[in-house]
Amino acid sequence: MKITQREVGDVVILDLNGKLQGGPDAETFRDLFKSLVEAGRRKVVVNLENVSWINSTGLGILISGYTSLRKAGGDLVIMRASERIESILYVTKLNLLFKSFENEEEAVRALSENAG
Amino acid sequence: MDAVRGETMELEIPSDFRFLGAVDAAVQDVAREYAYPREAIDDLSTALIEACSNAIEHGNRFSPDKRVRVSLSFGEERLVAVVHDEGPGFDFESLPGPDSPPDVTCERGRGLLIMQAFSDILRFEYTPGRGLSVELVKNRPSESDDAPSD
Repeated sequence: MKITQREVGDVVILDLNGKLQGGPDAETFRDLFKSLVEAGRRKVVVNLENVSWINSTGLGILISGYTSLRKAGGDLVIMRASERIESILYVTKLNLLFKSFENEEEAVRALSENAG
Repeated sequence: MDAVRGETMELEIPSDFRFLGAVDAAVQDVAREYAYPREAIDDLSTALIEACSNAIEHGNRFSPDKRVRVSLSFGEERLVAVVHDEGPGFDFESLPGPDSPPDVTCERGRGLLIMQAFSDILRFEYTPGRGLSVELVKNRPSESDDAPSD
């Protein structure tokens, strides 16, 4: 899993590339979200456009990031998830946790409208 | 485990998540040759990746000395995948199923839910000393399944 970090205003965009499947990725993500929170970043969009699939361990990684940000008063949303990933989120009811957007503009606007 | 008419292939992967993509690629590639709809292929692959993830993590516990064997049968009517690990087995009936999903903020506990949701038949078979086998069956959707609904 390759992660590229960029910023749009006060929103951090994480562009993921590969498969979200746990293993070494889990520690990488935990460290990343810890450093984001420590740096005062509170609004994160996870771009799943180039994520081909996700397993239950990968879901746990996303939940961990979400929980870290929410505890710090922030929020995490996802964007450009494939139909395959959306169906997994639906089946696991995680569509109730993660707000999902079709494009970056909508995702950034949603976070900017929140107090965060 | 039931047999199925059609061609069968076998894969053997190390107990390492980095090899899950190879399983996905094999299913996607061959099932397309059998003209299965994209959604059915994705469903079986999603369930299979989850079964392999469980075999690697909970069965073989990431042991470099243990392997995960995957048998894939491609028939005209259905796709069948069987995943074998070399672990001690576990009480799969105690795992949370579709009727008892974990709290949405819980980081674990969705594996069985995913396997059940994305396959038409899910069976477990445990033989002491020989590991756990998980069979996943995905039927070819009938034409009426493809019809748009209101």
